[in-house]
Amino acid sequence: MTSAAVDTIEYDIRGQICPSTLLIALREINSHAAALRKGEVALLFLTTNRDSTHTIPESAQNMGFCAVVAPRDGYYAIRVSGNE
Amino acid sequence: MFVSPTVIVTAIGLMLGLIAGFVMHRADFCIAGMFRDLFLFRSTARLRALVLYLAVAMVLFEGARLLGLLPLYPFPLLGPASLAGTLGGVLFGIGMVLAGGCVVGTLYRLGAGNRPSLVAFIGLIIGSALYAEFHPFWKSLLTATTLFSGSITIPQYFSLSPTPLIAVAVAILGGLVTFWCRHGQLSRRLYAKGALQLWQAALVLAGVSLASYLLIGMPLGITNAYAKIGAMGEQLVFPDHVADLGFFASQPLSCRNPLTGMMLTGGPGPALDGIALIQFPLIAGIILGSTVSALSLGEFTLGHPAPWRQYLSAAVGGILMGLASRMAPACNVWHFLGGLPILAFSSIFFLAGILPGAWLGACILTRWVVR
Repeated sequence: MTSAAVDTIEYDIRGQICPSTLLIALREINSHAAALRKGEVALLFLTTNRDSTHTIPESAQNMGFCAVVAPRDGYYAIRVSGNE
Repeated sequence: MFVSPTVIVTAIGLMLGLIAGFVMHRADFCIAGMFRDLFLFRSTARLRALVLYLAVAMVLFEGARLLGLLPLYPFPLLGPASLAGTLGGVLFGIGMVLAGGCVVGTLYRLGAGNRPSLVAFIGLIIGSALYAEFHPFWKSLLTATTLFSGSITIPQYFSLSPTPLIAVAVAILGGLVTFWCRHGQLSRRLYAKGALQLWQAALVLAGVSLASYLLIGMPLGITNAYAKIGAMGEQLVFPDHVADLGFFASQPLSCRNPLTGMMLTGGPGPALDGIALIQFPLIAGIILGSTVSALSLGEFTLGHPAPWRQYLSAAVGGILMGLASRMAPACNVWHFLGGLPILAFSSIFFLAGILPGAWLGACILTRWVVR
């Protein structure tokens, strides 16, 4: 059994004013909801907003998606994907 | 070894600011977000921390008063409520949402290297200085719309001891906090490095506020300093104009520092006075505290530009907050962290204004700023 490759769409929203990070994330998750559920895409949000490391995963999980937060050099990467 | 009162007061302000800035950064303690999220995301999660703060601060302030530790009660510079002040609250609510943070949120984000917050900071200074142009008109409006016979607090108006009313308020707020705690709604899952829970930050800030009241003579407040910085800058270019403005000539502060006995006097004008002595170190401390926090986490950065609409929003928001903090006539920090815990009418009316303001700000933000 093989799995199809998952395209990752990256959104660099570092340095933006609060709450644009969460607003943009919600918009893009909604926009790609169908593809996320099918496992065709994953969304990667790059942010310097500390609060969004909580709010984006929480919102994504409430919508039935999986979210993983990874600290990078000076910012955070939040990966949202279909249930894994 | 003799340490001058000036050094002592400066050191206290700086230390309190450092603690506040550090903690606010670690928790992302965003007071603007507490009200904005009610309308933007229909969330009360952040606001719970403010409720906890209020409950604890009420107990601390009233306990200190009963022990005879508070130098002046109500504290200096706290004025009566007025309907015009509520309009200031509305404008402040709009401004803080557009700026991406309130007067201290701007500072701790600035300290962490956030570019739009620098723009908002400059806007705050400009707005605070602009207020001087129509101060006579606004002052007369505040006076004309003063409520409750000029009483500052609810207990004062009813000629009652504050204790019973504070006890009732604490019981109500404490009940809410207890409910949230039992249902696991005070804590959040944290992913950011070195993060503090909002409730932890609320407890620390309550302690900082009390310390400020005990050691400085009043709770935390910073926006008179913004006006002062604006006046200093304007004086370099238009010295005669600054000299002619009544707002900059006013000297509303006149109290004795409880720790050193030094008389503190001052106002929003360009002189280095009691206001500068109290608030400049506090502002510097908040920025530095946040910078220390960000640097220690490897999160300090100036390298991430934001969309131009967000810079414009931050500028407009900063100017509105600066204006509103004089019209209200104080900022959210003064009102929520200081005035509400002692049931000040002006702070209650500020709260009544900031709610619709936050709603309007959220509407503007989603329609024109974040696209």
